[in-house]
Amino acid sequence: MTAPSTPHRHPSADDPRILLDDSIGQFEAIPPYPPRTEREAEFYELGDGEMFINFGPQHPSTHGVLRVVLKINGEQVVDLDPVLGYLHRGVEKLCENSDYHHINSQVDPLEYISSLFCEWSPVMAFERLLDVEVPRRAEYIRVLTGELNRILSHALFMGWMALDLGGLTPILWSFIERDEIAEMLASITGQRLLFNYFRIGGVNGDINHDFMSRLGDWMTRAAAQHEANTQLLNENEIFVRRMRDLGRLDRETALRMAVTGPNLRATGTPYDVRRAHPYSVYPELEFDVPTRGHNGGDCLDRYLLRVDEVKQSLRIIDQCLHNMPDGPVMAKLPRLLRPRPGRAFAAVEGPRGMYATYAISDGSDQPFRMRIHDPSFIALQLVPLLMKDNLVADTMAVMASLDPIMGGVDK
Amino acid sequence: MTTLNRAWGNMTVLGRVLLPLALLVFIIGPIATVLFALFAGPLLVDLLSANIDVVRFVVAVTGILLFSIPAAFIIIYMEMKVIALMNLRIGPDRVGPAGSLLSVVHGLKVLMKEDFTPTGADSFVFTWAPVIVFLTAVMTFLVIPFGPGLVGQDLNIGLLYLFAVGGMTVVGLLMAGWSSFNKYSLLGGLRSAAQVVSYEIPLTLSVVGLILLAGTMSVYQIADTQAGGFWDWFVFRQPLGALIFFIAATAEANRTPFDLTEADSEIVAGFATEYSGMRFGFLFFAEYVNVFIISALMVTFYFGAWHAPFPFPDVNLGLDVGSLGIGLLLLLATAPVALTLLFALPFWLTSNNRPAWQALVLGFLVFNVVAVGLLFGIAYLELDWVAGLVWFMVKSFLFVYLFVWMRGTLPRVRIDQLMGFAWKWMLPASLLNLFITAAAIVVVRQLV
Amino acid sequence: MSLVPGMGIVRGMGLTLKRFFQPKATIRYPEVRADVAPKFRGRLQLLYDEWGTLKCETCFQCAQACPIECIDMGGIDTKGRFHVHWGPPETYGERREESAVRRSGRPVADAAFRRFDPVDTSALDEIMERHDYDPKALLAMLEETQAEYGYLPVGALKHISRVTGAWYAYIYGTASYYRHLRLEPPMIETVPAAGEAHVAIEQSYRSALDASLGYAVRGS
Repeated sequence: MTAPSTPHRHPSADDPRILLDDSIGQFEAIPPYPPRTEREAEFYELGDGEMFINFGPQHPSTHGVLRVVLKINGEQVVDLDPVLGYLHRGVEKLCENSDYHHINSQVDPLEYISSLFCEWSPVMAFERLLDVEVPRRAEYIRVLTGELNRILSHALFMGWMALDLGGLTPILWSFIERDEIAEMLASITGQRLLFNYFRIGGVNGDINHDFMSRLGDWMTRAAAQHEANTQLLNENEIFVRRMRDLGRLDRETALRMAVTGPNLRATGTPYDVRRAHPYSVYPELEFDVPTRGHNGGDCLDRYLLRVDEVKQSLRIIDQCLHNMPDGPVMAKLPRLLRPRPGRAFAAVEGPRGMYATYAISDGSDQPFRMRIHDPSFIALQLVPLLMKDNLVADTMAVMASLDPIMGGVDK
Repeated sequence: MTTLNRAWGNMTVLGRVLLPLALLVFIIGPIATVLFALFAGPLLVDLLSANIDVVRFVVAVTGILLFSIPAAFIIIYMEMKVIALMNLRIGPDRVGPAGSLLSVVHGLKVLMKEDFTPTGADSFVFTWAPVIVFLTAVMTFLVIPFGPGLVGQDLNIGLLYLFAVGGMTVVGLLMAGWSSFNKYSLLGGLRSAAQVVSYEIPLTLSVVGLILLAGTMSVYQIADTQAGGFWDWFVFRQPLGALIFFIAATAEANRTPFDLTEADSEIVAGFATEYSGMRFGFLFFAEYVNVFIISALMVTFYFGAWHAPFPFPDVNLGLDVGSLGIGLLLLLATAPVALTLLFALPFWLTSNNRPAWQALVLGFLVFNVVAVGLLFGIAYLELDWVAGLVWFMVKSFLFVYLFVWMRGTLPRVRIDQLMGFAWKWMLPASLLNLFITAAAIVVVRQLV
Repeated sequence: MSLVPGMGIVRGMGLTLKRFFQPKATIRYPEVRADVAPKFRGRLQLLYDEWGTLKCETCFQCAQACPIECIDMGGIDTKGRFHVHWGPPETYGERREESAVRRSGRPVADAAFRRFDPVDTSALDEIMERHDYDPKALLAMLEETQAEYGYLPVGALKHISRVTGAWYAYIYGTASYYRHLRLEPPMIETVPAAGEAHVAIEQSYRSALDASLGYAVRGS
């Protein structure tokens, strides 16, 4: 056995007892196949003084299993390539092969932080297919629980944001906030993470005493607590200096890339599905669509916009509680649903943007085609755009400010 | 008695042999020591006092090595507990009282883990990097005065020594980062090099003001210059210098908000990514030893070292145990028994279903607390170095608390902000501080 | 951002110091368990009424309504007379078959399920009678059964289980433990001549191959 004369040779390479695989020790980010697209060929070519570095899929700060290959020059990011698909389950196909009641539990874990919205949009689409009228009380309960879920999601966003910038404390305060809401929703839906609560034609069970007492208790201090929690970061010079002017997203780019939700509103565009294409009982409720954008849609804008949204959600919850009508929470529906052939589209405003479902029925008990539009996927496409010529440390800040959830991206 | 019986019954054969032996050692040991001191003592004292410098050095090195690991343990526990409490959670509460032994368990865990060298790592450099990091941290202790007379070596170039040794840390970090064969480690090592080198300059310049004021470079004498009340501390004469020193020292020790070298959300664990086992343990301990060192330096330079904030009136108890003569022996023999009985009496009298042995145990405990308290009080009043050590530790750990508190509150700065802050703000500010101090000294000398 | 630089940091430090002294949110888990909502759906279980009898009426409505088809049930009717063999469970089973065809294009392959053949139990009853229906004499019973039938048919084991009251698993375990008891009929042992042995073996392999493939393999 002749030893190859490589300059970096590990001493144990000559030891016959050790089975040494050189490719394990010297892992490169470059994929083992020839480039498939021009973009790939361009990206995986190293310039002078550049190197690749892998962020994820197992990395302390990636949200879920996202892998980002960074091409860096010193501390500066030259280019980056998000690699998706580590959480792909083929949910759309699964949905096309399950009956309408079953789909509810398939789409639940898509955006696992805000799973009520994942249920809401397919359920709405199917209701349009079936031409069902949802009882008003059920609609109010949907709005109430949905807004609670929005607060939950935004609270976690703030914690993660701080954690990616190195702050240890806000994430735990956020989790305390989240836990209160999760307990509250668990008392009405029965679960803490994947609520599986909305049904076609209503909701699964009326609000109960447990829920109301928890909600009332929480509402008395929610606003103050939220104010106090955000105070730690909002005024912190280090935080503000890091976030300001970072990852600027202008309005034209945002619209061109079909960005929705807080990321779009942070560029100064007041587009909110709840107002633009009203659904459920939102037309009856009073709330503002907050926008930001004095700094040109940077990370700080996106952060502060979510802080504002929580206040609006609290307002909506308050109104829901005051205006909630009596009545049934579930429409009368047969066990086996066979909608007439046709197609329906339904969009809701989730915490990350427009969450939409497009369903085609062929008259059987399963949808012929079901397409799910996920806002995180589109937000993630912005990252290479926003990250050009920033520093390594900013990758996570930009990514956290866009708030993608990998469950929804990979579907 | 039943408890003792049961404990004896539960013991293994080996334990039944070893326990009496241990008891014997504990009884014979002190007696042997006393006998040794009586007969061989004078000879030994002569020998040692002839070579007092060597003795001092050896004692200091041993003391420092023995002190640094427990100090790191205490700081690690503080960090876990304090940050937990700030996060509105309880933190460690299972091992030991209030979880205080958890950091010891961490240490044991680190000892037991596999010591792993990754493929492709330069194993020689990889092995020696933690040694250098830990040694440089521990060597700094040598010139820190813990109390009057309690200093390893009173070097007349103490400050130079401090910065020279402190600056060597970066060599270890760079070695660790380079030899790990990992890009995260490499980035972490380079970051730490850039950061430590940049902040070394304002750190050194901020102390030059102190040298001008104290007129010496010996750390011990700088500390001694601040004798008196808290108004004599240098922080009031050098507020800007103190602030610069604080910030620069935070950056030197890689603490939040300047902990870029181990920014876990960016470069996993920086230079320590590939380390495991006790090699990681040394890097880890060095980090916390550094926290104690920068706190101790803050206290030494700017917060009056071992001096109490208010000068206490010099109490002279006038205790002269020698004058008791044979009475001392009598006192030592009878006082524990008599006081134990005395303290046990109220426990026995106030509760009529408490067995006598319980009252005796309680009385013994109370006697111990009182005796230790009394001894400590007498030592505090009589011995300067005890009082100095107490004040020094109290102040140092207040600063450690401050560092932990900052870690619980602040996010991390970015690398360009970090460097910009060092060169654009800290360096001019420290030069300004130096200029003002020098000008003030000249003006005061002209006037006086 | 305030006018004085660093005020935000100082205020943040103040906030954390305040939280340092506030009551903590931790639940000390093994000692204290968090409340579980009455509506919690984490675990499926059958409820008992205050007399300690099962509330479940075996109506199978839950199995039918379950959207993800995770509830599977079998049982006896409310009078305790018959195994339920009509209605929702059957519908559910039918639906399962139907949806399997719909989803994957083939039926549910249930090779594990095989009904046992009925056996003539008159000889078995005699053996039982001799041993006074006592499961303690199980081994003797099984040996005699094997002598009677040549092997231990599943039907016989089921019958023994029913009349003696011992668990089937217990009987099956005993039967499969002893090497001299066999659960399958013995092979017909033909002893070929020494020289023809390998031919016979090859023939048996070949026939087995043919049987499994469904057509005769030509050539050698």
